[in-house]
Amino acid sequence: MKKIAILFSIIGVIAICLAYGRAEVSTETIKTITLPPERVDLKQGKGLEKVLINCQVCHSADYITMQPIFSKAQWTAEVNKMIRVYGARISEENAKIISDYLSENYGRGQ
Amino acid sequence: MLCKHDGKEDSMKDGFTRRDFLKTAGMATAMAALGSLPSPVLGSEMRLVKYPEKTELILLTSRPPQLETPLHYFKEAITPNEALFVRWHISGIPTSVDLNTWRLKIGGNVDRMLELTLDEIKKFEKVAYTAVLQCSGNSRRFFDPRVPGGQWGDGAMGNVTWTGARLKDILSKAGIKPGSVQVSFDGLDGPPFPSVPDLVKSLPVDKAIEDDILVAYEMNGTPLLMLNGFPTRMVVPGWYATYWVKSLHEINVLTRPFEGFWVKTAYRIPDTPCGCVPPGTAPGKTIPISRMTTRSLIIDPANRSSTPLNKPVEIMGIAFSGGYSIKDVIVSVDGGKTWGEARLGRDMGRYAWIQWFFPWRPLKPGTYTLMAKATNSIGESQPFEGLWNPGGYLWNKVEKTEVVVK
Repeated sequence: MKKIAILFSIIGVIAICLAYGRAEVSTETIKTITLPPERVDLKQGKGLEKVLINCQVCHSADYITMQPIFSKAQWTAEVNKMIRVYGARISEENAKIISDYLSENYGRGQ
Repeated sequence: MLCKHDGKEDSMKDGFTRRDFLKTAGMATAMAALGSLPSPVLGSEMRLVKYPEKTELILLTSRPPQLETPLHYFKEAITPNEALFVRWHISGIPTSVDLNTWRLKIGGNVDRMLELTLDEIKKFEKVAYTAVLQCSGNSRRFFDPRVPGGQWGDGAMGNVTWTGARLKDILSKAGIKPGSVQVSFDGLDGPPFPSVPDLVKSLPVDKAIEDDILVAYEMNGTPLLMLNGFPTRMVVPGWYATYWVKSLHEINVLTRPFEGFWVKTAYRIPDTPCGCVPPGTAPGKTIPISRMTTRSLIIDPANRSSTPLNKPVEIMGIAFSGGYSIKDVIVSVDGGKTWGEARLGRDMGRYAWIQWFFPWRPLKPGTYTLMAKATNSIGESQPFEGLWNPGGYLWNKVEKTEVVVK
């Protein structure tokens, strides 16, 4: 029984994998796609939860992990750009926590 | 992901509800737990992913998606639809379009406002040509010092045959009224909050009514893929992709210059002859990016590959420029000491890239540095050192491809 259950779960997983990444066109005039799930690869660290809530509202975490290794000043500038230029609603206090997290984990730390 | 678009733009523009926000925040927390697990893929430079209607592409970001074409696809004269790069700016990208309700609206300073169905757009004279679509920030990861932004290698470009109606024909049906200075273009993508600037681009009227600017509905003979702008997108050949607005649904003729964020603040280059400034410095005056610089790239053999001694190799690459045909491509196999002229492949028009070929038979073992340099019909060519600007735009340096002969 257990083996059958495992087999069915494997078939299920394969079916789900096949379903993602395929366009679904229900009629000739309606076109729909389903985007694959996104992954979060951010490092554990002080302030991570603020990053998850404030940054990921607008974009996936790989926008962070993709960037070059920045100085603290550069990461602070990036966070400020998100607020002033791109309209992110992040409090001053949280912006500091986020900048610290980013420079600590994805920068030169200073 | 959160925005299913059904042609009624209101449902998306105002559609980011508190519930959606909580859903996103919850999702992030749930996935953060997953993220803490060690993964064998993490840390590797390139992660290949498969998105709807696409083959496996290099993942830069997943929401909004930025997917890069692996370079080996450029061995083909035309970039296959499923391999063409993907780049969206704001997270509310269209994932569903109902052509029963979708309309292309033309408004602003016109004699008559239009709301065209896709079938009506297809009734305008059909125009097709091949043109390079290239992201303004293609090759940004090679900038030194590095700059923030999408960290593209060389794969944010492609050579595609576009089919559509002339923008000029559509605008003349609406009737451009006197006093018009610019035309703006808005796609179905929308921001997650009203405070985040929607992606709207503009062109001067004189540019917008040029013969070759299209409202395209086909790529390589088939309907546009959703991630490349279904059902219609702008084609502004010779200019960077930022003007090729995807999932176009609104065109407005304006009596004063458009002042939106994506024109006034973003996608700007230094107002200097090279579009560059000394590395690491801030430009004084800036202007909107426009025409592409001249580029060439060695595709085969690949960088850091190896080839056997004495075996004849045909070095193959591509070259293009911002709307002028390629006059010649010169190739060096000794790091730039000596150069020879490459044979050019089939000419697919001044907006397309051209393939070039250069025979080579390495007679000594060692590491060789291959280089290629293209020049267009008005003498524009490529610099030997990367020109720098803070946006990471216009990259077109003569590249070096290292090949080991053994």
